[in-house]
Formats: sequence, C-alpha cells, structure tokens
Amino acid sequence: MKRKTLLTLVALVAVAGVAVLGVVGRMVLQPGPYAFAGGRPVALSAYRGPSPTGVPAELALADTVTRGAYVASMADCQACHTAPGGQPFAGGRAFVLPFGTIYTPNLTPDPETGIGNWTDAQFLNAVHRGIAPDGSRYYPAFPYPSYTLLSDEDVLAIKAHLFTLKPVKQANKPNNFGFPYNQRWLMAIWSVLFNPNERFRPVPERSPEWNRGAYLVEAAGHCGECHTPRNLMQALDQRRKFGGGVAEGWTAYNISSDTVSGVGDWSAADLAAYLSTGHARGRGVASGPMAEAVELSLSRLTKSDIGAIVTYLRSVPAVKGDLPVPAGPAPSTPQTVIDNPVGKRIFEGNCASCHAWTGAGAAREEAQLTGVRTVNDPSGANAALMILHGSGAGTPYRPAMPGFGKAYSNDEIAAVTNYVTARFGARASKLTAGDIGRLRDAN
Amino acid sequence: MTAITVNGKIYEVASEARTPLLWVLRDELGLTGTKFGCGIAQCGVCTVHVDGVAVRSCQMPVGTVGQRAVTTIEGVGSTTVGARVQKAWLDLEVVQCGYCQPGQIMAAAALLAANPDPDDNAIDAAMSGNLCRCGTYVRIREGIKHAARS
Repeated sequence: MKRKTLLTLVALVAVAGVAVLGVVGRMVLQPGPYAFAGGRPVALSAYRGPSPTGVPAELALADTVTRGAYVASMADCQACHTAPGGQPFAGGRAFVLPFGTIYTPNLTPDPETGIGNWTDAQFLNAVHRGIAPDGSRYYPAFPYPSYTLLSDEDVLAIKAHLFTLKPVKQANKPNNFGFPYNQRWLMAIWSVLFNPNERFRPVPERSPEWNRGAYLVEAAGHCGECHTPRNLMQALDQRRKFGGGVAEGWTAYNISSDTVSGVGDWSAADLAAYLSTGHARGRGVASGPMAEAVELSLSRLTKSDIGAIVTYLRSVPAVKGDLPVPAGPAPSTPQTVIDNPVGKRIFEGNCASCHAWTGAGAAREEAQLTGVRTVNDPSGANAALMILHGSGAGTPYRPAMPGFGKAYSNDEIAAVTNYVTARFGARASKLTAGDIGRLRDAN
Repeated sequence: MTAITVNGKIYEVASEARTPLLWVLRDELGLTGTKFGCGIAQCGVCTVHVDGVAVRSCQMPVGTVGQRAVTTIEGVGSTTVGARVQKAWLDLEVVQCGYCQPGQIMAAAALLAANPDPDDNAIDAAMSGNLCRCGTYVRIREGIKHAARS
C-alpha cells in the first residue's frame, strides 16, 4: 500500500515536472521576432542587397556626427534615458513595474556617473547582452533582447554620439525591487533563455525595403517591447507578435495586420502620417509613450525609412484582439439618453470647444473623437490618461490638448471618460474613481 | 499667400498656413474685436463663425479655413440673428467688463441660428465653453431668450 502511494506520488511529480517543462519550453522555444517572414535569413556579411543597417542611403555621405545622431534616434535612447524636465540622456526616469520602481542610468560621457570610462567592448556587451562593465546584469526593462539585433557598427555609432554630448554629473538611482527580483544574477539565467544574442539576419527572399523596415522595427525601434504581450517570464510572446501590450499604464494597441483590433485597415499613407507626425486623419493622435517615440525618434527618420517601417509592419500577420469595430459619425445630440450628468457637464465646458458636439473636431482634424481607437476602447484607459495628462506636442503651432488631471477629481475624470466613450465610441467604458487613481499612479 | 473671406471681404494673408486664425485676424487684418484669452480653447473668448459654426479661432490654423466664410464680432451685426443678439445684449445690459462678450455673442448667435428656441439645457450645452469671470451668466441666458423671442 505504502509502495503504491509512493509510486503515485512519483508519477504525479513527474507529470507536474513535464507540464512545467512544457510550459517553460513553449516560452523559450518560440519563433524569432521576424520568423513569420519565412525564407532563409543570412548573416549580414553574406547579404547581397543594400545594407539594412546604419543610416539610409540619403545620409550615407553625411559626417560621422550626423550619422551617429541618426542611429541614436533610430534606437530612441533619449526617451527612456531622460527624466521629466531633466538633462537629455542623463537618466533618472522612473519606471514603475510590478516588481518595484527602476530608474534609467546616465548615458552622458561623465566619467564618474555616466559612461565616460566605458570601452567599446563594454558598451557592446551592455547593449547586446545586457551585461554591465562590472559584470552585473541589467533588467530587461532595458530592451537588450531587441538591441541585440543591432550591428556592432550601429551600437558603436550610438556610443560615438553619446560621447559628443556634454557630460552631466548625475548619479544613478538604485531600484527598489524586493526579493527575489533584486537578485540581478537571476537575469543571467533569463538572458540565456530569452536573449538570442544574435545580430540581425536579413531575409534575401524579402525586398530590401522590407529588410530595412525589419531592422528599424525589431532591432532599433524595439516596437515589440511595448506592442507585443509578455509571457509569465516577462519575455515577449512572439506567437502573439504585436498583439498589444501595456506601457506605463497606457495601452500599446495591437499593431498587427488584424483589420479590427490592429492596423490592417490603415492605408500606407495613414501609417506613414501617424508615425512621422503623430497624427493620421480619423485615426487619432499619438499620446503618452508613443508621442515620445514620435517626437524623439520616428519624426526624425527620413521618408524612405518611414516607408520601410510601413512595408514591414503591413507584413506582420494578424493577431486577433477583442476590440470592437469603431462606431461611425455621431449626431450632435445623442439619440439615446446617456445618464451621466457630471460627464456631460464637464464635456460641455471643457471638451466641446475643440472636439465639437459631433465629436468630429471643431477647429482641427486632430481633435476628431469619432472612429478613433482610443475612444472605441471599452477599457477607457488611454482616453482617461489623455484627459489626465493631455496630449500632443509641446512644440509651437502643433495642436496640444491640455491635461485636466489637476483640475478634476478621480470621480470627475471617470465620469467624463465614460461620457465620451458612451457618446462617441462603440461601447461605453465603466471606469470608477479607483481606476483613475491606479492610472494616476502608473504614470 | 492664402486668401480668406472675413465678413464678406476677401483678404490676402501673408502668415504661414499653420498660424492660428486668431493671430491673423488681430495682428494682420487689424480686426481686434475678437479677443485672445487662453490660447487653448478653454475660455471661448476668441469665438468666430466659420460657415456659421462657432469655432475657437485660437485653435484653427488659417490654412485650414479654405473657401469657408469667416464672420467675426465686427461683422455679425449684419446677420439677422446677430443683430437681434446684439440688441438683446444692449436691452438687458448683459455686459459687465466686456472682455468675454465678443465670444459670448458669437456663441449665442451660432446657437440661435441652429436652434431658434433653445431651452435651458441647449443654452448650457452651447455656452458652457464660454467663460465669464464677472459672472454675467444669468444675464447671458436671459439675453439669449430675449433674442429668441424678439
């Protein structure tokens, strides 16, 4: 009897072990970021087409400083390595993660607090493998599993660019992760499992434009770090590539070619306009972290590079989501009664001037609410964050929406968000004051 | 050069297409009846009509006006509704300091042109985006009703 129990136990443990191995195995043994393209990828040195790396042909003859700055823009280092209101590239920006808060380090060439003493080999080791000069490991909040695809020349071009900056003396702030997440050495195991540590391999069967786009999106732009969902081990789930994720509380929408939840029904011109200016007519305005990506990276890329990104994006297979088909134009008075007097009052006083009672936008097309994904997202998260923090560039002549987070309580922000999604969207959001509080904390 | 029609007159405009209509009206065309308040469409003082619709001119790039007719506080009196609103404003002495009133009158005239007999709800909805720091809201509402009746 005793023996039988023991055998059963052993069998159970074995089954559980196989199951765990299966789950972890499925996470580890997943396709590469552009495996969907098929073909037979080759090493960069063996690729016969025009180089997908470096600067675009238009800038091939530019001086080293210009080319370095361009490659740094491609990789958008500045957005994360700058604190709000702080010196560019001096780090200190906080990222609130489920494990604690982490701060980006100083990338200026200050020898003491920045990277002024780093050798080329140390910099390559950091960007490709996530290993600091002292041998400690970076957390994958630093997107080295994407940057590992960058060519050595491009990584060193970024380093050269950083070394042209004025050194800023600003000490790095430690993170406040608790056990076991504060055990950096664990990241060595994580890296073995999830960082392929392999440079970009062009696909000869695809066009040169596609290959350039793949390099810009996967290696430099690291789009998937926000737009691809993560698995239990916090690695990107490439089987649901570009199916949507979360960035600092903001929903990073599905950008696969799914026609409803993704961008499959966006024209190439829509995508190009959105990426290069942060706005496409009837599609909405880039806000939150995406506004930073446009301002500091995408808007600085050449037309040919934006075209390459669009070509690549449109080739990414559809990943189904659960977002509704956007509602059409709205009448100036609602056909059904929306029982939300607070939301209506706030909309009248603060929103209608620009967005109009039809939601079509009163003075400029950027203010259109109808048909826009944010308004047609029943979670209401991004709509609420735009109302809290505002949206649009802070540059002259560009439209900007002010933030209302300091003017209204969580109850009021929830009410006006629910009013807007009910009035102009496919399904009303049902946000509460508690939800708004959490969104405020995440950002 | 862009051509825009303001109060029935065609103007050649030298400003860049992205310049706000308000700046063109005030600085280039000298039509200073339309006021600058907040510059972010939160106060309504810069309201003009574009093809009869109330628009915050601080937010409208002049290049997007196109063929549409712009009416400002200088020209609204030549429309029937505009004249009625202006008379109601004088009859009831709606104005206190007056700074917001060009915007209030333009918003009220657009409302009455679209809805000749607005109830309190419709007035609230159309006028909520126009602030008045003197607090003349009660008289503004009366003025609109007075104009609707006249």
